[in-house]
Amino acid sequence: MKTGIFICHCGHNIKHTVDVRKVRDYFSAFPNVVVSSDYPFVCSEPGQEMIRESIEKEGLQRVIIASCTPSLHDELFKDVLRKSHLNPFLLRRVGIREHCSWVGDDVARNTEKAIRLIRAGLYSAAHYVPLEEKMVEVTKSALIVGGGVSGLSAALFLSNMGMHVYLVEKGPVLGGHVRTLKDIWPIRKDGAAVVGEMEAELREREHVEIFTSTTVTNFEGAFGNYRATLHTPEGDREVTAGGCIVAIGFSPFDATAKPELAYGKDGRVMTTVDFEQRADSLSLPAKPRVAILHCIGSRDEQVGRPYCSRVCCVNALRTAEAVRQRYEGSYVECFYMDVRAHPRGGEEFFEETQEKGALFTRGNVAEIVPGPKGLLVRGEDTLLGELFEREFDLAVLSVGMSPPADSAAVASLMKITLDKDRFFLEAHVKLRPYDTAVKGIFIAGTCSGPKDMEEAINHGRASGVKLYGFLSAGFAVVDPFVAVVDVKRCSGCRMCERACVAKAIKFDEAARVVRVEEAACMGCGLCNSTCPSSSIGLRGYIDSALDDEIAALVEAV
Amino acid sequence: MEEKSALDPQIVGFACSFCTFKASEMAGSLRMKYPDGVRIVQVPCSSRVDPAFVIKSIFDGADAVFVAGCHPGDCHFIKGNYFTRRKMAALKEMLDAFSMKEKLRLFWVSAAEARRFVQKVTAMYDGIKEAAHADAGKRN
Repeated sequence: MKTGIFICHCGHNIKHTVDVRKVRDYFSAFPNVVVSSDYPFVCSEPGQEMIRESIEKEGLQRVIIASCTPSLHDELFKDVLRKSHLNPFLLRRVGIREHCSWVGDDVARNTEKAIRLIRAGLYSAAHYVPLEEKMVEVTKSALIVGGGVSGLSAALFLSNMGMHVYLVEKGPVLGGHVRTLKDIWPIRKDGAAVVGEMEAELREREHVEIFTSTTVTNFEGAFGNYRATLHTPEGDREVTAGGCIVAIGFSPFDATAKPELAYGKDGRVMTTVDFEQRADSLSLPAKPRVAILHCIGSRDEQVGRPYCSRVCCVNALRTAEAVRQRYEGSYVECFYMDVRAHPRGGEEFFEETQEKGALFTRGNVAEIVPGPKGLLVRGEDTLLGELFEREFDLAVLSVGMSPPADSAAVASLMKITLDKDRFFLEAHVKLRPYDTAVKGIFIAGTCSGPKDMEEAINHGRASGVKLYGFLSAGFAVVDPFVAVVDVKRCSGCRMCERACVAKAIKFDEAARVVRVEEAACMGCGLCNSTCPSSSIGLRGYIDSALDDEIAALVEAV
Repeated sequence: MEEKSALDPQIVGFACSFCTFKASEMAGSLRMKYPDGVRIVQVPCSSRVDPAFVIKSIFDGADAVFVAGCHPGDCHFIKGNYFTRRKMAALKEMLDAFSMKEKLRLFWVSAAEARRFVQKVTAMYDGIKEAAHADAGKRN
C-alpha cells in the first residue's frame, strides 16, 4: 500500500522540540512508505500543493499528515485529497504538536514519541477504507444566549438574513451592561437609547422570539439540530436550533476583593459602575476633590486578574470628564499605571481630559482610610519616587471585567472550554476567534475576554455571520462513522441491540442477524465493544485498526 | 528489560473525542507539560473501548492503561460512559485476579479540564514509576 507521510514543522512549534529530519528518515525506510517528507507549514498553499503533487505522481493510497491536532485544519486537508481524487477518509492526521512537541521539552524523547504516534497512524491507516460522507438537514434557526449588545447584534444580523432566532436573556430586560451606561464615549449617547434601538428593531420581527428572565437548563444534540430547554417564567420550553451563539457577557470586578480600598465599608468609595448610576444623586461639597483609581481588578496578579480589561481607562477618563463638567472648580486626580486608552481617538480623549483639568499621577494606591474630613488616599508616586497622602471627598474605582459569574455552568452545558482566567476560549486565537471546539457553537462579546462596546458589537455580528455561513447551506456533512454488521459472523445474540443508546440496531427475525439503521446511528462504537464475536464494527474505528494502533504505540523504536 | 521499561513507564490512554481528547488538545495549546510516556488513542466515545484493547495494550508491553471519558451524565452519546464504567469495573476485577489491578485506570475529564487531564496522567505516571523503583529497591 503506497503511503505518503508529511511531517509539518509548524514554523518552530514542532521543529523546536522534535527532530523532524530524524522522524522523516525513520519512515522513509518503511517498505510501503513511498513519500516521507518534512515541510515548514504543510497547511500553507505550497504545502498543500506538495501533497497534491505526491498523490498524483506517486499514486498514494494513504496520506498521513503529522502536524497539529486532528480537529484543526481537518477540512482543509480532506479537500486536498478530494481535489486529487482520493477519498478523504484515507487521510490520517497525527497530532504531534498538541500531543507531543508542546507537552514535552526533551528533544530525544519527543522525537521518539512522535515516531510512535506517526507509526500508530501509519499502522491504523492501513485498515482504512474509502467512505461516503453523510448529509443531514440543518434547522435554520439560532439560539442566542445573552441579550447584551453582542447578542443583540448577532440576533439582528441573523434575523435580517431570515433565520429564526431565539434570544435568551437571564435578566428581566435586554441590553446588558450597556443599558446602564450614560453618555457613551465617543458617540455621546445613552446606552439605553442604543440598545433600545436594537431591541425595537428585533421586536418588530416575527421570526424573532425573545425570552427574558430565562435560562437554558438543558442543551444537547449535534450541529444542525441542537435541542435546548429554556426555563422561562411561563414554564419550560423546548426549542430546536441549528446553531448557538453564547454571549453571556462579563461581571464587573468585585472591588470588595481589595479590602484595603474600603469599598463597601465607606460610602464615599464607589466603582465606575456605581458612579454611572448614582452620579445624579451624589451629595458632594462645592469644589469637590475626587480621586479616580485605575486598574482595579486588572493587571493585578494578587486578585487573580493578570490581564488588562481594556475598557476601564476610557471609563476612568469619562468619569473624570463628567466630574469636571458637573462641578465647577472640582479637583480630579487619577492614579494610573499606564493609560491605555486604546480605541480610535482614545489618546486624544486622554489629552482632552488632561486639558479639561484632570490631573494624572502615576502610582498605585496602597490604601484608602477615613480622614478628619474626607478620605485619605495613600500610595507611592512612582515617577517622583515618593510617598503621598491626599484627602478627597470621593474615590471612584475604575473596575475591570471579570468572567461572567455563571461561565463555568454555561461552559459545562455547552461543552465550551474556559481559559486560565475563566473566560470562554476560542478555537484559535487568531484564525478562529469566534468558534468554539464544538461545531455550530460560537462565542460573542466579552464572555471571551474584555472588549469595549464597539468590539463586542463586531464580535457578535461576526459570530452571527459565521453561524449564518453554516446554517444557510441547509444541510451539514457528518462523518460517516456508523456501525456496520458482518452478517456472516453475527450470531444474533442481540447484545448490541440492548446496549445501543440510539436504538439504531434492529433485529432481523428472518435472517436471525442484527441490522444497523445508519441514519439513527450516532457512531459511538458501544455496540462494537459489546459484541462477543466482533461481528459489528464502527467504520473508521474498526477493531483491527485500533489493535494495530496500540501495538505501534508500545513497540520499540 | 522489563525492569528498565517500568522505570520508564509507557502508558496507553484511550480518550473520547468529545471530552478527554479535547482536554488533551487544550493541554497542548496551553503548553502544559506531562510525561512523554503517555500516549493517547482517540476513540469516538469511551464506550468504544473494548476490554480486549486494554488487555492487548498490557500484553504488548504497556505498563499501564487509562480509559478516560466525559463525566457521568455528560456523555455526548447520552450514556456511553455508564457502559464504560461497568465494563471497566468488571475488567478490573479480572485483572485483580492476576495482580494487575493497578495497570488500569478509569477517569473522567471534561473538554474544559485540561489541567485535570495533566494532573491525572502525571499522577498516574509518577505512581507507576515510584512503584517500579520501590520494587527494584526490594530486589536489590
